[in-house]
Formats: sequence, C-alpha cells, structure tokens
Amino acid sequence: MFLDLTEEQKLIQDTARDFAKAELEPVAAELDQGDDRAPLMANLKKLAELGFMGLNVKGEYGGSEAGVIAFSLAITEIARACASTAVTVSVNNMVCEVIQAVGNEEQKMAYIPKICSGEYAAGGFGLTEPGAGSDPSGMSTQAVRDGDFYVLNGSKIFITSAPYAGVFVVWAVTDKDAPKGKGISCFLIEGGTPGLIIGKEEKKMGQHASATNELIFDNCRVPASAMMGKLNDGFRIAVAELTGGRIGIGSLALGLGLAAMDHATKYSTERTQFGQKISNFQALQWMVADGYTELEAARLLLMSAAWRKENGKSFAKEASMAKLFATESANRACYSAMQMLGGYGYTQDYPIERFTRDVRITAIYEGTSEIQRLIISREILRNFS
Amino acid sequence: MKLLVCIKQVPDLESRFKPDAAGVWYNETDLAFRMNEYDEYAVEQAVQLREKLGEGTELTVLSIGPDRVVEAIKKALAMGCDNAVHIQDTAVSAKDPWQIASIISTYVQGKNFDLIFTGMQSQDRGSAQVGVTVAEQLGFACTTTIVGFDYADGTVTAKRELEGGIKGVVKLKTPALVTCQLGLNVPRYPTLPNIMKAKRKEITAIPVADLLTADLLATTTSFHPPAKKGGGIVLEGDVGELVDKVIAILKDKTAVLR
Repeated sequence: MFLDLTEEQKLIQDTARDFAKAELEPVAAELDQGDDRAPLMANLKKLAELGFMGLNVKGEYGGSEAGVIAFSLAITEIARACASTAVTVSVNNMVCEVIQAVGNEEQKMAYIPKICSGEYAAGGFGLTEPGAGSDPSGMSTQAVRDGDFYVLNGSKIFITSAPYAGVFVVWAVTDKDAPKGKGISCFLIEGGTPGLIIGKEEKKMGQHASATNELIFDNCRVPASAMMGKLNDGFRIAVAELTGGRIGIGSLALGLGLAAMDHATKYSTERTQFGQKISNFQALQWMVADGYTELEAARLLLMSAAWRKENGKSFAKEASMAKLFATESANRACYSAMQMLGGYGYTQDYPIERFTRDVRITAIYEGTSEIQRLIISREILRNFS
Repeated sequence: MKLLVCIKQVPDLESRFKPDAAGVWYNETDLAFRMNEYDEYAVEQAVQLREKLGEGTELTVLSIGPDRVVEAIKKALAMGCDNAVHIQDTAVSAKDPWQIASIISTYVQGKNFDLIFTGMQSQDRGSAQVGVTVAEQLGFACTTTIVGFDYADGTVTAKRELEGGIKGVVKLKTPALVTCQLGLNVPRYPTLPNIMKAKRKEITAIPVADLLTADLLATTTSFHPPAKKGGGIVLEGDVGELVDKVIAILKDKTAVLR
C-alpha cells in the first residue's frame, strides 16, 4: 500500500496552490460580491493555458494526461481560494471527459481542444430540468428527427457557465414511448446556435461568480451529426459521467472545508477571551480535532475513488461515498469554523461567511447526499441479495 | 552553447522551524520543501535564453541533496530545462558553502559550460557564497544580484541592483556565472502537460562522494531561535494617568512626539 503522491502529482498540487494563492485568492471576495466577471474569465483563461481544463484528457485533444488523482488535488487547491473558479474547472473537465468517452473522432477534435486551450471559457452540462433533478430520466426536453436534423424543444435549469460556454452536452428524449431512461440521447450543441436561448441567471446563496442559468430550446435545429454516442443510449452516458464529476465536487468541498478550518484554527491561536487564547479551550480544541479528522477521512475517500477511476476499476460506490462524506464534512467544518470566529465569522470581514455559503450547494449538486446514499446502498445491497 | 542552472530545495519559509537533535540545523520532519525563490529566477532566465537560442543549446539543471530534491529538479525540467543532474547527498546541510561550490565546480570541470545561472542566495542558509565561489574556482567571469539580463555573441549584459535602488550595468565575456535577484523576471508556472512530459527527461544521479574533494572551512555550531523578548508593558490606572504614562513612553522610546 502506497499512500504518497508521485512527484508529478505533488508538482501539480504545488502549481495549483501557488496559482490559487497568487491569482485566485486576491479576487475571490470581490468576485463573490460584485457583478464584474472579468477577473474570473481572465483566470479561467490562465488556468486553461496551464492545462487545468483537461487534466484527465489525452494529449492529442489538448489535455494534460495527468490523471484523476491530479484532477482531485487541483480542484481542492483551487477551491481553497475560490469555489466559483473551482466548480467551473470541475465542470469543464467533466465535459471534456464525456466528449472523450463517447464522442466520435470528429466531435472530440472539434470541441475538446477548444475547452482545454481556453478558446472556449467553458463547456456546459445540460442534464437537469425543472421537473427532473434527482430523477434526470424523467426529463421532458425532446429532440425530434427532421430529415438530417434534430429539432429540440424544452428547457434545462441550473446549468453551470451557460452564458460563456462554447459548447453544451445536452440530453433530450428521442423516443418518448421507450421505457424510462431508454429513450434519451445526447447531443453536442454550440453556444449561439439559433433556438438555444440562455435564460435567466439564478440568484444563488453562494458560488456567485459561477453563472447558473436556465437553457431554453425553442425549435433549436441541430444537424443529426450533433448526436454523441448511440441513439437512445444517452442516459447511461450521463450516469457514468456524473460519477466522475462527483470526485470533482467532493474535492471542491474538501478545499472549502480545509480553507475554513485553517482560517479558524489560526484565528483561535490569536484571539484572546477570559485572559487566554481561545485555542486553550477544549470546546474549540474538539472542533479542530473533529474538523480535521473528518476532512482527512474525506481526503482519503477521494483519493481512493480517484485512484480506482485512474486504474480502470469500478468506482461508482467509492465516488458516491467520497462525495457524500466530503461535502457533508466540509459543511460541518464551515459550521464549526464560524462558531470558532463567533460574530466575526458571520461578517464579510472574514472569508468564513463566504465559505459557508459556497459549501452548502456541494451537498446538493452533482447528486444530493440522499441520491449518493441511494447509490451506495444499492451497490452494497446488490451483493447481499 | 551549454547552459547550467544550479538550484536548491529549501523549506517553505512559512514553516515553523525547530532545531535538529544536534542543535546545528533545522529539523526537517514535517517541513514542506520547494525550490529556492532566487533559483526560480535563475531557472526562468536560463529557460528564456534557451528558448531564444533554440536548437543547439542545451540547458542542464543541477541540484545537490537527498531524494526529495528530485521534485525541485522536475519542476525545473517542467519549466523548460533539457536534462538534469542530481548529486545525491543525504548530509548536504552539514556542508559549508565552500564544499557545495567545490562539488559543483568538480562536476562542471571539463564539460564546457558557457554560462551558469544561480540564485543570489538560498532562503534558508543565505550565505550568498556558492555562486561566486563556483565562478572563482572555475575562473569564470562573475556578477551578482542581477535584475536584468541579455546575451549576444558571447557577451552577457547584466543589470545589477546596487544599494539604495541604484542600478549598474556589467558586461561579461563567457564563460560566465550570474547570480539572480528578485525583480529579474516573473518565473512561469510549469504547465501540466510539461510536468507530465518532464518524466521522460533524463536525470543523471551522481553520488556526492564522487565529486567531494574539498574539506570543510566553516562549521555551523548552533541553530536556535532568538531569545524571547520581554512582553509588552501593561499600564494600569485611571484614564488621565494612563494618557500621561503613554505620552511619557512615546517621548522616551520613540520619535513620534519629538
């Protein structure tokens, strides 16, 4: 058993950490509070040039071929500084990976290099609908064949990076009479395609700099060649790719949890009450111990899931366990961190308030904690029946 | 043209340092290591020159230390060095700058390097002796603390930082050695594809015993934090009295009320 990182993984972690500290952290609070997304766009471009948009993507498509462990490490380091940047990077990687996994050569060459190089600021993942969240197979967006085209009608919701995504992976029903989940296909649709309308941007609790929008398809015509993978085989693709994305979101939550605990622990060694440093009080010591213990366990679960994926082993259960535990631990860590700072933690003079808002969604998107438990228990019970 | 850049791996300076068991250097346990900041400027400048000169130029990175220094070497390779030399030494901290310089000079002898880049000093030892000593031992022209660099036709033109913000310009014929200062350039982040590709670049490992011929000239006899200063002064009494005391202290100990 070997638990240490390779030198390459350490260097990628260091590069991500150095970049996050120098470029992301100084603008994170401003991005959270302001309306100007320019610093985010500039940083996404730099991150793409450094190779962070296709960590687990082959070199021939412009990827870094650095693997899944490196992906997890990078997302954690970026999230320590700015969760909005981290979620964009995580989704971009997921979009690249889904195209790499199921696209044909032409589709791969057309889109992956553009996301990896930063020519496209982002890629979009269009699965969730107003009526189909935890149950995506219940989607209602339709794609109807019309000669050499498909015509899409319907809408998607909560689509990350929609206003600046160059391409969207979109799922739509192509056989509405098929059993649930068996009549869905997957399409690659470029931003700006007529009939693809970027709807209203959600006003969210956190991760403000990352845009989250409605997508509307109003007689959106795409060539039949825009279909990715086989007809009516799209849902399986979505499920498989979300599994990898869970490692990304778990890693993002870990970064936020660590950032919050580091900040609060340092504060506790400086803040004096009752004539002594508050870190002398056992109540805070236990928060420090519990917070870091849970985050270390989360880190190991993430590393295990990432290692399994990188080495071609089954990883659905492990990715769900890692996502569930990392995101819930990180939420608890942010809660404790705010307790440790007291009233100051609730103000925007300290970053804990932002971390606490940013971390909440991690237990919801890319599969809620409840869906993760469903997946985990199903995988386990399968072996008992 | 053959270029060499010498780098050292040092602890992250935000670390908490504790003396080692012998009390002559820091305890390495739990420290995170990274490339010495000034050496990053040296690597960046060497890589820029390597890129400018193109084909026919070879840039080698050299580091002395235990296995952990390979990480710093790989960073330099990812930044654009062509190949590397790792001089394996598990007791590098016990050597003085003279010995370190001698090891490098012994390696360089007969290899026809035209130009050597080093950091101005290391962030941990901070002697600022190794670069200049290597130049002296090899008979190379040398200039230090450079903040500007140009090379053409066998001549280095270096801008130097002098005291009080004054700058000087020095010209040197190769073979030459320069030591690099903050402000020379902004070191690039190694790109991820280059980090992965650096795996395929050659790292030659040489046991330090093969190159160590010089004796120690200076020994570090103690490593310790400074003695703790007394705590602040706590003033007590009513406000009027406190104000008088504060004013008296400010007049006595500082220049603000003079």
